[in-house]
Amino acid sequence: MNKWKKKQPATIKPFKRPTLSGDGFGGRAGFFLSRAITNIRQNVFVNVVTVGTITLALLIVSLFLLVFVNLESAAENWSERVQVTVYFDKELTSQEQAAFREKISALSGVSRVGYVSRDEAMKRFKSRLRGQETLLEGVRPEVLPTSFEIALKRSHRDTTSVEAFVVALKRIPGITEVQYGEEWVRRFNSFLNFMRLLGALLGGFLVIAVIFIVSNTIKLTIYSRRDELEVMALVGATRFFIKAPFLLEGLIQGTAGSILSVALLFGLYEGFLHNAGSFLTFNPATSGLSFLPIEYLAGLLCAGALLGFIGSLTSLKRFITV
Amino acid sequence: MIQLHNVTLAYQQDASALNNINLRIGKGEFVFLTGPSGAGKTSLLRLLYGALTPNRGQVLIDGQNITRMTPSQIPLLRRSIGVVFQDFKLLQNRTVFENVAITLEVLGWGRADIGKKTMHILKQMGIESKYNLVTQRLSGGEQQRVALARALVNDPKILLADEPTGNLDDANKNQILTIFKEANIRGTTVVVATHDRRLIEQSHKRLVMLNKGEIVEQVEKETTSDDQTF
Repeated sequence: MNKWKKKQPATIKPFKRPTLSGDGFGGRAGFFLSRAITNIRQNVFVNVVTVGTITLALLIVSLFLLVFVNLESAAENWSERVQVTVYFDKELTSQEQAAFREKISALSGVSRVGYVSRDEAMKRFKSRLRGQETLLEGVRPEVLPTSFEIALKRSHRDTTSVEAFVVALKRIPGITEVQYGEEWVRRFNSFLNFMRLLGALLGGFLVIAVIFIVSNTIKLTIYSRRDELEVMALVGATRFFIKAPFLLEGLIQGTAGSILSVALLFGLYEGFLHNAGSFLTFNPATSGLSFLPIEYLAGLLCAGALLGFIGSLTSLKRFITV
Repeated sequence: MIQLHNVTLAYQQDASALNNINLRIGKGEFVFLTGPSGAGKTSLLRLLYGALTPNRGQVLIDGQNITRMTPSQIPLLRRSIGVVFQDFKLLQNRTVFENVAITLEVLGWGRADIGKKTMHILKQMGIESKYNLVTQRLSGGEQQRVALARALVNDPKILLADEPTGNLDDANKNQILTIFKEANIRGTTVVVATHDRRLIEQSHKRLVMLNKGEIVEQVEKETTSDDQTF
């Protein structure tokens, strides 16, 4: 053995090129995710506060949505009453009926056309006066008019469309008497517009308030960990590297908050609300509030995730001074 | 390794913190920056790791002009620079190991390599037995050694220290100074800002004195028996 050849002490043996933790996007994503989860575990209190804030904020918004959606569907039910009736003084032959039906159906906005014969009209009259049939003694079906009842498509139930429709209807030869309760239609539509405006305003303010509260909560949680951001920047972490775990954390917090808020909303709905809304509709078959449709629930989930993400993003911008 | 040309730095409208500084620090040098409080020592160090940009003049680190770097290039610069502070800047709720490993995580090292290298540097600092303690339970000297381990774990080209011994007693000061010297022997350029006269006198290294943002005196390295042994 060559005694001049010095044995290198183990301590200053140069390190091999280190293996990088998961090259490529997948490995990085895994690292950031594990980092985010570690962060959540190490800062349980702060995370509970943030998730709680997001949950409550989204619960308020979703309660508002629940009421709004139900008001809309109640309005939808009410608007079924927008109906145009054409009266005739004589019974129509089946050929005449077919001809009128065809001409009326050809107009835009018609969803259903129904003929009411004298016998049918008499039957309805009787059922409306149930218990007081004696009043109808001596009344014969011949005194009642026959009619076409025309239901309109949803998009044609506003005041101007109904009026335009009636004008077009009157142009059909043979049609003279048309009734559609213009005053009711007008009032109903202006009420509906007012409700929508109010809803949009309230909803808008609510959403702004929620964004403000959530972003400030997240800002505080990130502020409490600014030393970590500083150290990361000091040892040469890129902005993306510093931000990614926080953004993922925000995403997780937002998603958790929105899932919780939907669960709470469902609990509230099952507990109290599903039979509390009969004042909204006059139709006993649909009384009670309905739960939010699935699109709205999906929307709430996305909104929660987005809220967490954007909240973190904007807050980080303020604290990373690389 | 480090060159400053006519560097002037001013915070807002105040009198300039650094005024027309020209300084050249060679590769593998060990330099003390000294001077009274407010002389510009910290500002000068902050310039070197890209936390500040000068209002005028150029700062070159290892041939790269960092005044022209984009914000995305600064992190890459910092990977070759270790920095320690008087207040250590450790993450108080993390363990010693986690505090040191963060440097290597940032570089994207794998878990096994991080473990080996981190324990290796902790052993050099003499604190490997405390690797699993949270840093707030350590003494000041131990905390500064953790900070040094974090700064040195990826074998930086430059080590910057801002009053590294300000919070330490004499025994710890000596240990920290020894670590600086050892890092210097391994080829790291070391710049220490301090107003601890004793530390400077003990180590017989090049001295740059600042006052009111200007270099007032430079003392070249004294050749002593201490140096010759290395």
